[in-house]
Amino acid sequence: MIEKKNTNWLAMALLILGLSTIAFPLYLTIVIAFKQPSEMTNSISGILSLPKTWSLSNFREAMRVTNFWHSLANSLLITIVTVVLSIAIHSIMGYALGRNKAGNKFYSFVYLFIVSGMFVPFAILMMPLAKQTAEMGLANWFGVILLYVVFYMPMNILLYSGYLVNIPMALEEAARVDGASTWRTYWKIIFPIMKPMHATVAVLTALSVWNDVMTPLVIMAGSETNTLPLAQLNFQSQFGTNYNLAFASYLLSLIPILIFYVICQKQILNGVVNGAVK
Amino acid sequence: MMKNERKITFLCITIPILALFVCFNTIPLIRGVIYSFTNFKGFGKYDWVGMRNYIDLFSDARVGKSYLFTFKLAIVTTIVVNVISLLLALALNGKIRAKSFFRGAYFLPNILGALVVGYIFNYFFTYIFPALASMVGIESLSTSILSSPSKAWIGIMVVCAWQAIAMNTIIYISGLQTVPEDVYEAGGLDGATGWKQFRYLTFPLIIPFFSINMVLCVKNFLMVFDQIMALTKGGPAQSTESISYLIYNNGMSGGQFGFQSANAVVFFLVIVFVSVAQMKFSSSKEEQL
Amino acid sequence: MKGKKIKRLGLAACCMMAALMMQGCGSNKNGQKIEIEIVQYKPEAAVYFDTVEEAFNATHDNIHLTISSPNDAMTILRTRFIREDYPDIIGIGGDINYSYFVDAGILADVSDYEGINNIKPAYLNIAEALKLVPIEGSYALPYVANAAGILYNRDIFEENGWVIPENWEELIALCDQIQAAGKMPFYFGFKDTWTCLAPWNAMAVDLAPADVTKQVNRGTTTFATEYREVSEKYLQLLQYGPSDPFAYGYNDACTAFARGESVMYPIGSYAVPQILTVNPDLNVDSFVMPANDEKDGNTLNSGVDLLFAVTASCENKEAAYEVLDFLYADENIQQYIDAQNAIPCKEGEFQLASMLDGMMGYIEAGNMTDYQDHYYPSEMAVDAQIQTFLINRDVDAFLKKFDTDWLRYNRDIIRLVQKYEEEHGK
Repeated sequence: MIEKKNTNWLAMALLILGLSTIAFPLYLTIVIAFKQPSEMTNSISGILSLPKTWSLSNFREAMRVTNFWHSLANSLLITIVTVVLSIAIHSIMGYALGRNKAGNKFYSFVYLFIVSGMFVPFAILMMPLAKQTAEMGLANWFGVILLYVVFYMPMNILLYSGYLVNIPMALEEAARVDGASTWRTYWKIIFPIMKPMHATVAVLTALSVWNDVMTPLVIMAGSETNTLPLAQLNFQSQFGTNYNLAFASYLLSLIPILIFYVICQKQILNGVVNGAVK
Repeated sequence: MMKNERKITFLCITIPILALFVCFNTIPLIRGVIYSFTNFKGFGKYDWVGMRNYIDLFSDARVGKSYLFTFKLAIVTTIVVNVISLLLALALNGKIRAKSFFRGAYFLPNILGALVVGYIFNYFFTYIFPALASMVGIESLSTSILSSPSKAWIGIMVVCAWQAIAMNTIIYISGLQTVPEDVYEAGGLDGATGWKQFRYLTFPLIIPFFSINMVLCVKNFLMVFDQIMALTKGGPAQSTESISYLIYNNGMSGGQFGFQSANAVVFFLVIVFVSVAQMKFSSSKEEQL
Repeated sequence: MKGKKIKRLGLAACCMMAALMMQGCGSNKNGQKIEIEIVQYKPEAAVYFDTVEEAFNATHDNIHLTISSPNDAMTILRTRFIREDYPDIIGIGGDINYSYFVDAGILADVSDYEGINNIKPAYLNIAEALKLVPIEGSYALPYVANAAGILYNRDIFEENGWVIPENWEELIALCDQIQAAGKMPFYFGFKDTWTCLAPWNAMAVDLAPADVTKQVNRGTTTFATEYREVSEKYLQLLQYGPSDPFAYGYNDACTAFARGESVMYPIGSYAVPQILTVNPDLNVDSFVMPANDEKDGNTLNSGVDLLFAVTASCENKEAAYEVLDFLYADENIQQYIDAQNAIPCKEGEFQLASMLDGMMGYIEAGNMTDYQDHYYPSEMAVDAQIQTFLINRDVDAFLKKFDTDWLRYNRDIIRLVQKYEEEHGK
């Protein structure tokens, strides 16, 4: 597969086929986002038809209802800070645990202890956390970020230490012989090598944070701060949902994360490991 | 001297981060466990009820049914997702055109919000799919599968897989990136191509990622909630009530906080057990290879 | 090195955003004024409450009012309660959550509020009945009510000369007539389980005692006796709906009814705004579900949709009452019912929405009974049980499960009731 220099048409065919399962829902989303409520029907031809006019009024209205720029700023703040902190904290923790868990009881216990935190159902933590964050004065966006850093720690540590397995110890030992401290060795050698994993972690963390409703809803309840998913809750109520506005709003909030993903993808794929190991 | 410095550095890293974790995960968990011995509704006063919640749990048919449903869903979905995402990752990592377009496109399902996904797939299963089925002449599929207690889980499986494939593919791609080119070059000289190359060269090297994906998949699908809320809300005839759905719906929105805390505690232990077994199994595989 | 750069960048971004957000809050705090905060659970009425808030603050110098209408308000209220961060006034529905809140001692007695005398006794009684056990004092101020019965397409009715049925026989005859005319009598959206409760409630008020749940709690009757007729008649209704009602959700049903695919739709008045977004010109009216065989046996299924309750921790009850006076001003109530097609709980002359015409007689006579599901604990999932029953069509199994589950899910409440009765020597 790899040694062929030209395009792998089998893979291409597979990808294009699979694409249809994504194109269809996306088409529906876009079409509905442009329609008016009175254009909604239950007939198949009705739902597939193009909107009568391509007016941006739904998008404008959606931006007004969600207080778009304000909510966007909040969502961006929470997502960016969480991602940055996650990469810094989780990678070094993953390193400390990954390198020591093999022969050391303490580290292997800590590793399992943290990783098993992944399986705690959020519902059981929710009430105690609401109380605890309020007591600690963290019922705000900063508290939400702290919680995210803790929530995604298990998975990210799992990812980082999994990645470390393929990074030879020899690299570190060489640096140590040169007299570099462990701390320095980590930031100078290991951290850059893990770049593809940083990008992966960034994508996974950012995505979960970006779409999360529950944590900000519970922790920041009653404060003025709204994230995009929180603001989008305004479109649905038990007795009526304005799908047209909601879809327009979801399309809008999809753009930033998609851009972020495309940037990170480059990082994942331009991995530096191959060169470094040689 | 050198050894000591390394030890101290590692401790200095581990202790504060561990403390943070304990503060926001372990302590609230312990508080939650305490609630599981009460009849707490989520507000107001409550009484200690001892082990009553745990005894009820094992005699509750609804909880038992939700375990069966959740495990069935998780196992099937995990297999489907991993097969497809591994294929996708190989394809996306291969020599193809319009790479970044494809990678962007395949990522989309993951970022569409639950409301959008729910609406579209509801529509698809309610109107479009039955129409297609009766056109082809499959009588049994000419009504919505989401309205059939025996088939609704398939609809949920499809949506879970559709959304999860993107994530798993990313992890597989980053795994494939750790495979050095020269492995293939060496393999190529020995005549390993296609399936053989994958089976004996690529796959053994990405086993850590395979096991991460398996663990994450099983965990995510055992904890399935969003897709249920978006598609069936536990129906029809309570056939798609997942464990998380029960915990959330009856514990948070209903007045069963104490009882569902007990459910959550047991559920937590079950998942930890399953995942540890999985990790043990795959790490023994890793050593073999 | 790289890590530091990223960190620094993150820090800078963090500071910038923080500054941005600080500007947002913090500017409207005024130390001199009394702050009154209302959290109400109907996000669909957010526009109304925003105007009320604005109007109130423009006319009152001593009090600053904040009304928030969040989505998922019940989760927000519960998390705020656990933090002991209580709003001054909460606006919730008259259902079992209210019963729990009274029981938990979260709410304050408002019987000294003068406005309570202007509220219709029928609705005060509904609120009174919701208390788990009789407790001294009034804790709820009913604001508006909704009603459930059958919505119908007035134009189609007039074209065919059909009239509003007044007992069960007439309803079934009408359905047969509609079917004979090649139209679908009902649309159901049973995929959303809660919609199964709409016809259920509307029929149960006609056929079962209003306090059936309390009677069961006291052990004087069973659901198997009281709900049998409701269950059997419900199955009869099914044949007049779409062939697979469990495939369609609430939204599908609203759309279908709005587009004239069915002549009637058994749901509450709360569905009308959603229906009208699809077809603003639809001429819709409603009538009381005539489930009883006798015309006189029927009653309107109406419950408190929104009530206000002052929390026990409210520091300034006088100010809270001033806010309530403002909310209960006739012109504000009129504005609310215009926007939401609601029924006011206050006495007086109000202009009701035309889609309530068919129910007018019952409303004026005060012949109303609360939704039975307001007494069901949500975790028992009666809605899902009814859906299961409608799929399996097994009346006996359904009622048997209803009785056993009831005892299981209401264990604490039953114990509370028994303890109360022992103490009060009943």
